[in-house]
Amino acid sequence: MTRVITPPPVPRAVPPLVVEPGELRTMAADLLAASAQVDDLGSFVAGAARIGDWEGVASAAYHQAIRPTGRCADAMSLALRHVARRVDQHADTMQELVERRWTLEDERAHLVDTIGALRGEAAGAFLVAAEALQAACDDCALRVRRFEADLDTWVTEVIAEEEGMREAFARVLTLDQVDQRYADVEDPADAALAAAPGTGSTPAEVNAWWGGLTQGQQRAILAASPGSIGNRDGIPPGARDAANTVALDRDLAEWGFLEDRGLLTADEERWLENARAAHDARRAIEQGIDPVDREPIPSQLYRYDPTAFDGDGAVAVSAGDLATADNVAVVVPGFGTDGASAAYHGERVLSLYEASRILDSRQANASMFWIGYDAPDNAPWSGGWDAAGVIDEDLATRGGDRLADTIDGLRATRDGDPAHLTVIGHSYGSTTLGHGAHDSGVPADDLVFVGSPGVGGDTDHASDLGLDTAHVWAGANSRDPIANLGNHGWWHLESALGGAGLGDDPTEEAFGARRFEAESATRAANDGFGALADHSKYFDHDTESLYNIGQVVNGRYGAVREAGPVTDPWYAEPRDPEWGRAPGAPDTDGRP
Amino acid sequence: MQVVPLSVGRAARSWDEQHLDVAAAAGQIGAAPTGGFTDAVAGAAARFVATWERHVSALADQAEACADGLRSALEDYLRTDQAADQDQLALLGLLHEIR
Repeated sequence: MTRVITPPPVPRAVPPLVVEPGELRTMAADLLAASAQVDDLGSFVAGAARIGDWEGVASAAYHQAIRPTGRCADAMSLALRHVARRVDQHADTMQELVERRWTLEDERAHLVDTIGALRGEAAGAFLVAAEALQAACDDCALRVRRFEADLDTWVTEVIAEEEGMREAFARVLTLDQVDQRYADVEDPADAALAAAPGTGSTPAEVNAWWGGLTQGQQRAILAASPGSIGNRDGIPPGARDAANTVALDRDLAEWGFLEDRGLLTADEERWLENARAAHDARRAIEQGIDPVDREPIPSQLYRYDPTAFDGDGAVAVSAGDLATADNVAVVVPGFGTDGASAAYHGERVLSLYEASRILDSRQANASMFWIGYDAPDNAPWSGGWDAAGVIDEDLATRGGDRLADTIDGLRATRDGDPAHLTVIGHSYGSTTLGHGAHDSGVPADDLVFVGSPGVGGDTDHASDLGLDTAHVWAGANSRDPIANLGNHGWWHLESALGGAGLGDDPTEEAFGARRFEAESATRAANDGFGALADHSKYFDHDTESLYNIGQVVNGRYGAVREAGPVTDPWYAEPRDPEWGRAPGAPDTDGRP
Repeated sequence: MQVVPLSVGRAARSWDEQHLDVAAAAGQIGAAPTGGFTDAVAGAAARFVATWERHVSALADQAEACADGLRSALEDYLRTDQAADQDQLALLGLLHEIR
């Protein structure tokens, strides 16, 4: 007697899905930036293009004639904006469909293996096992039917999404369509912006206003008026990044266009250089790979104003997500910093991000450089050094105020979910940090001063900075000539010349900060300006400095390798106990 | 024309800036990548981009026409009105398109 076994059917293959969501997002960003530019024309027609002190027939004709241009620009801007959003949404949906396809592929491969095994068993099955084998085949057939149903759903969704995207393009292909759909439609951004808190409002007030808007209003503002929120403290990092990305893309297109035609002014040349540097900084970070999860590192353009500070530019870019990170580090650079140096500082915060992740893989991190103040241009290495007395604290004082506002803004966006926040001042940036903390209060958990030429003349002790001194840290390479500029002991530039210099050395015993090891394995044999390179090694991988800063950023204070402070007896020169110690090279990047 | 103030000339310059900005936006749309779509959508995307580049270029041309129109008004004024020399000198500089 024989028993016929009915094997399960072989499931259909999963159709290929060739799509590049990243490329789609790039297109959406281009369309959004272009829509912002077109929106500007609409605003121009409604405002600056009107000539109030011109009267007569010609004036009336002019004002009549420009009206359709403004109306058309407004409608086109809205149409472009909607298509850009639809493309962005398409990218998200297609990404999800690609991921579901992988799951379907896995399921199918598993089913095919199971069916092959069942068929093999059926070929040699004895009668006594046939019943169990048929039951297994039936069970597998049921799973095949479920798989087929999931596959049908997936295919239907792919087709529907593709159709929806095609329709979105076709709906506004002609200007008549644009006119019918968007002419005289009120821009949702207008009412939302009219209700925005005025200048002088606190970051918390700005944050509350933003949080009270609908998603539609928020998206409209990002497209219509990115400049109104991109650099506003209290706006969440994700929204600032989106707005500044629109502004950056628009600037690159606009100034690149003028450059190609030889029409750039000297100012615009500098602004374009700053914009390109911001773009490069961001790209350098996003090309990095997280050393723990091996995923690409996200970045956020937290501040972007290429025209700020008389063309020096302002920019802040993070490695990691400032909105969700357990630990947030803000690096304040110093001498010779401007917008054009953004790419260099991008590499530094990428190193800090990698180090902090390697040192504690359980915590999510974000590291941001902040060029939000006008730093001194006369860096010693660029030939402009003219003694510390000439570089005064004015820029640091003003920069400190801005820094305090920035940290207030970051805090306001994480109300109820505060990050462990560390602010790191390097070089003149440490003077700026000192002023910010002393004059305005910087609501950070830890302050770190590295390669500091002085923390500001008004700060005589770590306790003047508004934090428990256990959270005030200082690192200096014993050869670093800039770090040796700070005041030591009772006689120094400040006391001798009535306020000259940049304040006290934070690594000195009398200052009361916690000094950490910051020597470099490649340090110079002697000090003096021949050792200037040692001033720029604090963020290099596999240095004591980066290792210890990373531990502070992660809040792992016990792991910080502390160093003895500089002392300055009245009868002798300052003494640095680190001078004779052999430097170490702790691993900060996970690479041999 | 009753009065042609300097602000007419300045407005012409502003229209020139708008022309360049919007022309740049048109170029940006034209250069937007469409290769990331599936085959089913790529054609519609390419058509949209090409069409909109033309739409926005035309808008830029309108801005340039406004600038040119204002400059014409200024020229007419200078030809027909013997205004004070000082006013004329100030206006002459605004008659030419800088970029």
